[in-house]
Amino acid sequence: MQRSIPFEIFRYAVILGIVAVSLVPTLWMISMAFKPIAEWSAAGADLTWWPRNPTLDNFRFIFGQSSTDLIVALERTAGRPIFASLLTATCGTLIAMTAGTSAAYGLSRFGQGGNLPLALIQLRLFPPMAVMIPVMIMWSFLGLIDNWFGLSLIYGIVTLPFAFWLMKTFFDDMPREIEDAALVEGCTRWRVFVRITLPMMRPALASSALFVFILNWSDYLIALLLTTRDWATIPVYMASLSSSMTGQLYGAKAALGVIAAVPPIIMGIAIQKHLVRGLTFGALKE
Amino acid sequence: MSEIALENLGKTFGDFTALAEMNLTIANGEFMALLGPSGCGKSTTMNMIAGMLRPSSGAIRFNGRDVVDVPMAKRGVGFVFQNYAIFTHMSVRENLAYGLRAQGTPAAEINKRVQAFAELLQLDTMLDRRAAGLSVNILQRLAIGRSAILEPSIFLLDEPLSNVDAAFRAVMRSELKSLQGEFDQTMVYVTHDQLEAMTMADRIAVMDHGKLLQVGTPLDIYNAPADTFVAKFIGAPGMNILNGRFVENAGVVAVEVPGLGTLDVPPTLQAAAKDKKAPNIQIGFRPEQVNASQSGLTMHVGFVERIGARTIVHLEHSGSTAKAVLPSDATPPLAGSDWTFSASDEAIRLFDPTSGQALKGRAH
Amino acid sequence: MTNVSAMAPAVEKIDAPATQSARLGLWLTLPAQLLVLFIALFPILMQVYISLTDWSPLDGIPWWKAHELWIGLLNYADLMADNRFWGALWRTMFVMAICVPVQFLLGLGLAVLFVDDFRGKRVLYSTLLVPMMVVPAVAGYMFFMLFQSGGPVNDLLSFFTSDPVRIAWLSDPDLALIAVMIADIWQWTPLMFLILLAGMISVPQDQQMAAILLGASWWRRFFTIVLPRMKSIIIIALAIRVIEIFKIFDTLFIMTGGGPGVATETISVYIYKVTQQELIWSYVAAIALAILIVLSVVSVFAIKRMQRGQKP
Repeated sequence: MQRSIPFEIFRYAVILGIVAVSLVPTLWMISMAFKPIAEWSAAGADLTWWPRNPTLDNFRFIFGQSSTDLIVALERTAGRPIFASLLTATCGTLIAMTAGTSAAYGLSRFGQGGNLPLALIQLRLFPPMAVMIPVMIMWSFLGLIDNWFGLSLIYGIVTLPFAFWLMKTFFDDMPREIEDAALVEGCTRWRVFVRITLPMMRPALASSALFVFILNWSDYLIALLLTTRDWATIPVYMASLSSSMTGQLYGAKAALGVIAAVPPIIMGIAIQKHLVRGLTFGALKE
Repeated sequence: MSEIALENLGKTFGDFTALAEMNLTIANGEFMALLGPSGCGKSTTMNMIAGMLRPSSGAIRFNGRDVVDVPMAKRGVGFVFQNYAIFTHMSVRENLAYGLRAQGTPAAEINKRVQAFAELLQLDTMLDRRAAGLSVNILQRLAIGRSAILEPSIFLLDEPLSNVDAAFRAVMRSELKSLQGEFDQTMVYVTHDQLEAMTMADRIAVMDHGKLLQVGTPLDIYNAPADTFVAKFIGAPGMNILNGRFVENAGVVAVEVPGLGTLDVPPTLQAAAKDKKAPNIQIGFRPEQVNASQSGLTMHVGFVERIGARTIVHLEHSGSTAKAVLPSDATPPLAGSDWTFSASDEAIRLFDPTSGQALKGRAH
Repeated sequence: MTNVSAMAPAVEKIDAPATQSARLGLWLTLPAQLLVLFIALFPILMQVYISLTDWSPLDGIPWWKAHELWIGLLNYADLMADNRFWGALWRTMFVMAICVPVQFLLGLGLAVLFVDDFRGKRVLYSTLLVPMMVVPAVAGYMFFMLFQSGGPVNDLLSFFTSDPVRIAWLSDPDLALIAVMIADIWQWTPLMFLILLAGMISVPQDQQMAAILLGASWWRRFFTIVLPRMKSIIIIALAIRVIEIFKIFDTLFIMTGGGPGVATETISVYIYKVTQQELIWSYVAAIALAILIVLSVVSVFAIKRMQRGQKP
């Protein structure tokens, strides 16, 4: 279709405008992360949009190197929360993907577990806040509060619907002929699943796992309720980065924010063609 | 009604030439079929006539006026898509009224026209049904009606029967032909199915590899193919073409097919055969015009296919193949035997083996 | 919660020992079933039980003995009269009523601009998706910084005025709610855009061509062909955002903590505060159950639409 030149100008103007608006908050945080204290604590007329004297001080600070400008030393450094985030998000992803993939295969190929799809959608619909009371009671009963496994387990359950639906639509799309051929050759169903189907689904598994990981990594509320100190994740730890002595440690928080924000952005762009499928539970495939 | 003239029309996509130097005039009210295998440029031609594609070179004239710069909505062209592109989320009535509404026709007028068209197309009993789930012949009528209600001067149809069951095509063909009689517009019909082209079109334009090879009435094309491609493409099965060379015997030219025998060149082609210097030639004849004979060509009978009203004999000899179509009451030769046959003078065509062009004979 | 599914299971035909296959299928779905039971059925029963008592973790009574503090439906009666709860619910609905339409219109507009090809489309598309991939808590922190009275938003606004603007965005009750909504719109318009664009691309091209050839203007085509054909996708996109905004917590909590006062207190923030700060868990259980019941009704509708959307 031929479009007019004014339309093209209009298109680029609008898109670039919106792109600018959508990038400014992120860029501002990145800028703050690299500013020395004099710049990140400036306000009003002294505000600088871009660091004049870029520095890695903020990153050094959150990893425990005391700063010459800041009198405070951190009681806890960022290393442990980053590890906690990584470990719980990874384990949560493993739980969700294992249970989700096998259930998806069971439903897609054998028609078993017919009640699961609806139950899982409903699980996704409810605010986590509304089911957390029993979980907190159970978890403290089981000694899983402020425990990496306790957090991973709940992550695995909360993201199970996504893992299940993504894998189900991938299995539904996969031609059955190859599996059927292997069955005729005398392989058992289980062997076909493990030796043929799963290796073929490797890209789908990778995309789904990344999608689930992003969701787990992004959590704040659950970690806020279920961790206190040892296994506090990045967002929970971030809130503790302000004290009555220093006020808001903008630079340090921004540096931590950059560390937290970068992995999901890269992963999200890597799997962008499956985002729609994941977000709409496979109702729409791109 | 409109006359369509394509002048040196060409279309390239990057390095690929989809259509080269097409010259074709389609008369007022004519039913023209663009026929060719897929990738021959017929759809490209039609999309340029409709305005969906912009030509790389040349002109498209409607009644003498160049329309290359006229946007497709303003060309007054009705278009029937391969899958009909019926708006399945609307009712039959809304589909029919769509174009009129877009033009801002008053509601009373729309109702009247829709009613009239629905009756003409026998859609009046289902006007308020949703278009989803209607059968294909109704979809075809609706697709035609939806365009025809705007009274376009030109109608373009893009392989409308290709998604239809073979059994149903005959019905659809006759319906389409009678609809054309009803509306009397200039129609351009794209197809790869020669049967559709032969049965419906006033004239056929045969295309291959982006080139227009021949334009003519169905009978012209069948009887006097311009080259070997057209000869083989038209007819089921296509024309037999055998490589041979001229031999002259007492002033009479004949064609010898090595190892098979000779066939006399008919008197009408004698002059052309004599004009041609090189001895190599291709001889063609339709399978339907083959009959058993004492002299002529002898070939090995591969197998015999009996299909109801006719019998197809598959012939083979030293790398050449040919087919013969015999009426079912004729006794076919036995498979595995050798069979001698010839073709009548009227049946024989000669082609230049390098260019593939037919040698022109003198009219009787 | 464990409704019998209406989905037709694809029946296994190929291998002879069908019962063996069925058994394997059951084993495969077992872990997921157990996890769902673990998080759904049992907790809900527990929630019902606790909501009928006056139990709190401070009482020193183990939860299974909560019936010693039985109060019947009193928690639910309290809920009916709880102005803070209704205020939070109303506020949540208000945010929904503003944010969802804004996100929808922005997303739809962007989708229109992206539906055909142009130079730089891929890069711009990826860039536009960045906000939705930022960790929501981090996004909350970004907007917390942006909306400081000496922060960049005011700095930008000062550009248009003679005096430096010093609006205290996050400590003014009305402005705080607006700031929170801006953050939500910033973060989740891309999601709307992503889904709507995918839906718009799936509208068959020949339908649009046919409409053009019938003389339909761009607007007519958009409203009579494109939008009607996107109907189920639009409903899905709206449903997802409605559900998500109902849960809104992370960004908002970090920006304002629900304050000033209760000015930005939404349902999730309210429940969180009662849970963590006031520790009246039996009452929280009652609120949560009430919400679950209402959402179940809504979700049945949404799920039916989603399943219809799956069939092309």
